[in-house]
Amino acid sequence: MSDKKTGQLVTVRGASKFYGDLAALNSLDLTIEPGNFTVLLGPSGSGKSTLIRSLAGIERIDQGSIFFGSESMTEGDKHVAPEKRNLAMVFQDYALWPHLTARENVAYAIKRRSFSRDKSEKHVVEILNRVGLGNKLNNYPSELSGGEQQRVALARAIVAKPSLLLFDEPLSNLDADLRERLRIEISTLTREIGASALYITHDQSEAFALADQIGVINKGSIEQIDVPEAIYDRPVTRFVATFTGTSGIFSGVVKSLGKKSCVVTLGKDELIARHTVPLSVGQTVEVLVRPAATSFTTQDENRISSTITDIAYRGRGYEHAIETKYGTLTGVFDTISHARGRKMEVSIDPEKCIAFPSEATQ
Amino acid sequence: MKIRLKANPLTAFWILIVAILVAPILLFLLNSISPRSLSQGPQWFTFDAFKSIAHGQFAQGLVDSFILGVIVAVVSAFLATLIAWIVLRTDSPVRRIWPFFVFALLLAPSYLIALGWQRLIEQRGVLDIMGIPSAGIRNLFYGPVGVFVVLAVKGLPFAYLVISNSMRSLGGEFEDAIRVHGGNRLEAFKTMATLLSPAIWSAIAIVFAESISDFGVAATFSSESHFPIATYSLYLAIENFPANYPVGAAVGAVLLILIVIALLLQAKNLRGRSFRTLSGRTRPFRRIELDFKGKAISTGFVSTVLIITLGVPAFGALSASALSGVGSPFSGHAWTLDNYRRVIGLTALHDPLIFSSKIALIVALFAALLAAVCARLLTQKRAGVGAQLLDFILLAAVALPGIVFAAGYIFAYNLPLTNKLGIHLYGTTALLGLAYLAGALPSTSRSLVGNMSQLQESLSEACRVHGSNAIKTWFDVTMPIIAKPLLAAFCLTYAGTLLELPVSQLLYSPGSVPLSVGIDKALANYDYGGGTAMEVLGILSALVVVGITYTLFALLAPRGWKRIGVARER
Repeated sequence: MSDKKTGQLVTVRGASKFYGDLAALNSLDLTIEPGNFTVLLGPSGSGKSTLIRSLAGIERIDQGSIFFGSESMTEGDKHVAPEKRNLAMVFQDYALWPHLTARENVAYAIKRRSFSRDKSEKHVVEILNRVGLGNKLNNYPSELSGGEQQRVALARAIVAKPSLLLFDEPLSNLDADLRERLRIEISTLTREIGASALYITHDQSEAFALADQIGVINKGSIEQIDVPEAIYDRPVTRFVATFTGTSGIFSGVVKSLGKKSCVVTLGKDELIARHTVPLSVGQTVEVLVRPAATSFTTQDENRISSTITDIAYRGRGYEHAIETKYGTLTGVFDTISHARGRKMEVSIDPEKCIAFPSEATQ
Repeated sequence: MKIRLKANPLTAFWILIVAILVAPILLFLLNSISPRSLSQGPQWFTFDAFKSIAHGQFAQGLVDSFILGVIVAVVSAFLATLIAWIVLRTDSPVRRIWPFFVFALLLAPSYLIALGWQRLIEQRGVLDIMGIPSAGIRNLFYGPVGVFVVLAVKGLPFAYLVISNSMRSLGGEFEDAIRVHGGNRLEAFKTMATLLSPAIWSAIAIVFAESISDFGVAATFSSESHFPIATYSLYLAIENFPANYPVGAAVGAVLLILIVIALLLQAKNLRGRSFRTLSGRTRPFRRIELDFKGKAISTGFVSTVLIITLGVPAFGALSASALSGVGSPFSGHAWTLDNYRRVIGLTALHDPLIFSSKIALIVALFAALLAAVCARLLTQKRAGVGAQLLDFILLAAVALPGIVFAAGYIFAYNLPLTNKLGIHLYGTTALLGLAYLAGALPSTSRSLVGNMSQLQESLSEACRVHGSNAIKTWFDVTMPIIAKPLLAAFCLTYAGTLLELPVSQLLYSPGSVPLSVGIDKALANYDYGGGTAMEVLGILSALVVVGITYTLFALLAPRGWKRIGVARER
């Protein structure tokens, strides 16, 4: 494959889209640097599909602008047709054309390049070999498994080396094993061709595994966009923290405040937590505990007594669900299993639990 | 909200729809409340026409039409679903012959079916000549039973085409899911019927509308059996001297209201449910292997339907065309091919067939293309006001009896305003062609809606984002996937136009006599042999065209096109 990088800058400014009274996009801003792999993470109905379809040109935003490089795609009355945007898309339902074979599906997308017939054919076969379907070139979509169909869709998307690759929850219909393998293929192939990429998902593990930057979208706006580490370590809103993975949430009252940390009173216990937004002493807060914050190893502070309620074997060890006086925690990891009903002390890493103002008091 | 008027294909499409569908319909309906505006009476605004149809024969005709329409639509849809399942989902031997016969059924308009029965059972008809007692069946058929049978025969192929096209697109995974979750075949069939409900409701709506607006049966069985139906009352209102167009328009308006009710019921039943089942992930279904008993029952059932629907009228027409002296109390009777020789040899008898073949070919091509556009607009994910309006217009047009539709054309294209606009179509073959097109478009469009509604939008969207514009996307993706239903729509329109009666009768230009008018003239001159021979040759020629069309598709279409909706044989 050529080393030529094809990605380009994508800029969305003030994008709004309404369906009747419902704002699917609400003055949304987004920048994707050339060659950057951006993942938009959000729940159903958050507007991520609308955004990706607007970038593709399938939908038209009501307000705002979309630029690819310095060229406006959507701005005011201007709306560049999807076929003129030099992009490709992998659809959630694959959208393979049922009357065309795998080879023909992929070859269709390369037609926009002025390659000779031989070169096109060679390239199509090469790309299908690359995704492991060299022996199914002439199979129709209905003769392929779900994973194979999505591989064809991936090959179709990258074959013409577009400047922007859009992924609309492409792995959501696949089983876990296939999902992981295809995720790696998406990651490596996209970076090989150097395209800018926007990938939408509601799966936080998929987002963290793939992204150069993650945007967390809620109610049509991006609440936070940053590198994965920053999103995980320094979520700026409760929603971002919740949606990027929690083991559980405790309600309490701020007892004392430091610059970045605070002590929260939970009934008779006290918990040290970080805070990323301003708090005040006496304020009711919710402490969001990351799964990685919990362990059964003993330490002097941040310990809560609990009872094991469930165990799940995960190969490298066991994840436990525990019940505390203040709520449930899940995903408490240990290399050995602890019996259901056993009383245990659980330690919570202050660096990995974050306090936010309680929603009720906001 | 900004309204942008642009010279684009969609604007042209709407202008065409208004010109060939909306204007004639509205002008005709205007007769019912404002006869003076069309020089049909003294009043600018009145409900007198509606008052006069609220009692007597008009009211009885409307009630009869409604009841018959409902019964015929439900029975046709039920039979069509059952037959489609036997033909498409089982290995019943009858599956190989049914597709051929269904087109034969489509080819035969109701007046030809009725004429076939009539030639057979009338006094001094074929049965009488052959010495077979026919008084009992004659008494039975000259009444509601005969009208029902003819309308059901006419409705069945429409319903079958709509339902079978959807069933072809329905992957086997849904049936499999029922079976593996403990459901038996009956439950699988019921679930499939639910998934097919857009097509079933479309079928019911089409057959209901076709039945209550049918003119062929009105002109034959109904008129001779003292069983008034709406279209015959309407026909009398227009044909009697002096013609009473306002009353005819009022009957037409009531028929339209009945269709609106059907449409509302259809919409209510499908609201909020998604039936998009056709995509690249759809898996071919597997045929159920029937045992001997199953094969015998299915073959017996379909054969019985075929005999009643096609066999009897075909025998009536064939035997009448091959017997000398049918209907005559004086001459002798003998088997002969003289009638066919006369049709082939005499210009007056074969010219209508040639003329109708040419115009039917042109109309069918345009109708298939336009119907595909209509069906696409009707099944868009976010159907706007335009789609709803189009839906209403198409259904309203289905409801309008052809003869009234033709009358609307006469009004619309003979108005001083039309002439001022430089449109001089009145009395031309072009106007006849446009009327055929407008008449065919509603039912052809609706026959494609079931299939088009299963086409996932992402297939077209994928095409757009991978570099194709809207038109190329249409030809590269949409058309191949709906190629078979489109082919069926073409054949359906071709056959329908070839043998169309009411529009032909009112709008033909003297130098170009359509086939149905030619047949009618022959029968009116008591040339039963010549008339029925023209019928037979007309239907045979339509079958040949259908055969050639499908052969060309089989030979020339890419393999992938032919795979859509094909069962995976064990």
